[in-house]
Amino acid sequence: MSVSQSNSSSESPYSSNSEAVRAELSEIDASIRSASLFFVISAISWLMIGTVFALLAAFKAHEPDFASAFEFLTFGRVRSAHLNAMALGWGNNVIFAVGLWIMARLCRAPIHHKGMLLIAGIFWNIGLTVGIFGILKGDITSVEWLEIPHYATPLLAISYALIGVWGILAFRFRKGDHVYVSQWYILAALFWFPWLYVIAQIMIIWFPARGVVQSVTNWWFAHNVLGLWLTPMALGTAYYLIPKVLGRPIYSYYLSVLGFWALAIFYNWAGVHHLIGGPIPVWLISAGIVASVMMVIPVIVVGINHHMSVVGLHKEVWRSPTLRFIVFGAISYTLVSLTGSAMALRSVNEVTHFTHFTVGHSHHGVYAFFTMIMFGGVYYMLPRMLKREWPSAMLIKIHFWACALGITVMVIALQTGGWIQGLEMNNAEIAFLDTVKNTIPWLKARSISGVMLTIGHIAFATNVAWMLFAAGAVRAKQGPTLLDDTQKGGIV
Amino acid sequence: MDVDNYTELLPLITLGVIFFIIAVSALYWSAKKGQLRNFDAQAKTIFTDEEPEGEISDSFPSKQKNKNN
Repeated sequence: MSVSQSNSSSESPYSSNSEAVRAELSEIDASIRSASLFFVISAISWLMIGTVFALLAAFKAHEPDFASAFEFLTFGRVRSAHLNAMALGWGNNVIFAVGLWIMARLCRAPIHHKGMLLIAGIFWNIGLTVGIFGILKGDITSVEWLEIPHYATPLLAISYALIGVWGILAFRFRKGDHVYVSQWYILAALFWFPWLYVIAQIMIIWFPARGVVQSVTNWWFAHNVLGLWLTPMALGTAYYLIPKVLGRPIYSYYLSVLGFWALAIFYNWAGVHHLIGGPIPVWLISAGIVASVMMVIPVIVVGINHHMSVVGLHKEVWRSPTLRFIVFGAISYTLVSLTGSAMALRSVNEVTHFTHFTVGHSHHGVYAFFTMIMFGGVYYMLPRMLKREWPSAMLIKIHFWACALGITVMVIALQTGGWIQGLEMNNAEIAFLDTVKNTIPWLKARSISGVMLTIGHIAFATNVAWMLFAAGAVRAKQGPTLLDDTQKGGIV
Repeated sequence: MDVDNYTELLPLITLGVIFFIIAVSALYWSAKKGQLRNFDAQAKTIFTDEEPEGEISDSFPSKQKNKNN
C-alpha cells in the first residue's frame, strides 16, 4: 500500500488508492453479492438435477429397461432434460454468477441495477423449470439443443435480454479506459448469445424455415452456443483468474487479443461441420470445415499463452483450488479444440459421425473445459463474497479428483468406443446390431464415470452449503487478499 | 415465415448486416481508443492493492495460515 502512495506518478492508475472514483475490489464484491449468490445456488441446484438425469440416461443406454415404466422417464426425454438442465441451468447460471462478477470487478465500479439481475435470474429459473417439465411431459421439440417447448422460451429470452442490458450498462459506467481481454470475451458473449437464441427460436420454433435451412440454423445455433457463449465465458474467466491467482500478468497480452479476434472471426462458421455428408450445399460444408480448421490458430494462441503464464509456478497452481480446476480446464480446451478441428475433416468425420465419439467430444468441451473452469471460478469468488474460508480442503480435493478422473474416464471410454463403433459401422460385413452390442462395455464405463462425477458434485454442493449456512463453524477469510476492513485504512 | 427461397430471409440478413457493422465498429473503436497498443500495461490492469501483482492470492484453506502476511 505504501508503494502505491510513494510512487504514484509511474504506477498504473488501476492500482492507485488516490483515484477515489475507482472502487476497491471488496466493495465491488459486496455490491454484487446477493445476485451472485442467487446464481451460484441456482447453478448448483441445476447441476445436481442435471446429474440425476445424466445418470438415468447413461444407465438406460446399456440397460434399456431401467426405469422405463413411466413415459416421462424414457430415454429421449431424460436425455434432453439432462442437456437443458446442464447447459441452460448449470451453465448459464454459473456464467451469470462468475462471468458477471468478473465483469463487475474489471469495470472497477460497484454495480447498479442489482434488481434487474435478480429479476432476470428468477425469470430464467422459472422459465427453465417450466421448460424441463415440458420436456418430461412430452412437449419436447424435435430440435437438438432447442428442445424446450415454445411456451417457455419467451421467458428465457426476456430474462436473457435483461442480463445482456445489465452487462452493457455495467460496461458503460466502468471506471477507466482500458478494456481487459476478459471483458472483451464476456461482453462479446453477452452480445452473441441473445442473437443466436432469438434467431434460432424464430427460424426453428416460431416460424420454421423449411428443409435444410432449418438444420443449418439448428447446428449454427447449437455449435455456437458452445463456441460463442460457453467458450468465451470460460476463457474470460481463465484469463482473469490465472494471472490473478499467480500474481503475475498474462504471458502475452498481445496473443490474448489476437486469440479473441480470431475466435470472433472464425467460430461462427464452424457449426456446419455437424452436417458433413448431409444434403446441404457442398460449399457451405467446405466453408464450415475451413472455419473449423482455422480455429487451430486461436486455440494454439490461447494454449501457448496459458501455458507460458503458469510455467515455473506449477507448485503454486497445485496449491490453489481455483487453479487446479482452471488449469485442468485450460489444458482440456487445447485438447478438445484440436480434436474438434480434426473431427471436422471429411475423412475423420466419416468414422466419427453418428457415434459415441461425438458424445465424448461434447462432454470433453462442456465438462472438462467449461465446467472445470467455472468450478475454479466459484472457488475463487465465494470466499471473497462471503468473507469466509472454504470449510473443508478435503471436500475440495475429493471434488477435484472425482471430477478430473471421472471426465477423463468418460472421454476416453466414449471416444475409444465411438471410434471402434464408427469403423464397424463403415464395414458392411458387420451386422448393425453387432455394432450396437459392441458399444455396451464402453457405455458401462461411461456410467461408472458418471458415478465418479456425481461424487464430485456432491462434495462440491456440500462444501458450498456448509460455507453458506453454517457460518459459525467456518473460519473467516484471511490471507493475502486483505478483505477485512481494518487493513484498508480510510478508503471505504 | 415459410421460407421458400433466400429472399424471404431478407429481414434476417439485414439484422445480420447490422450485427456485422457493430462488430466492425467495435474493432475500430478498440483500435482508436488505444486498446491494441501498450499491451504490457494492459495486462497489469487486473492487479490492485487488495490483490497486488507478485502475490499468490489463492491456496487450500488448511495452508492459508502459513501464507498470511
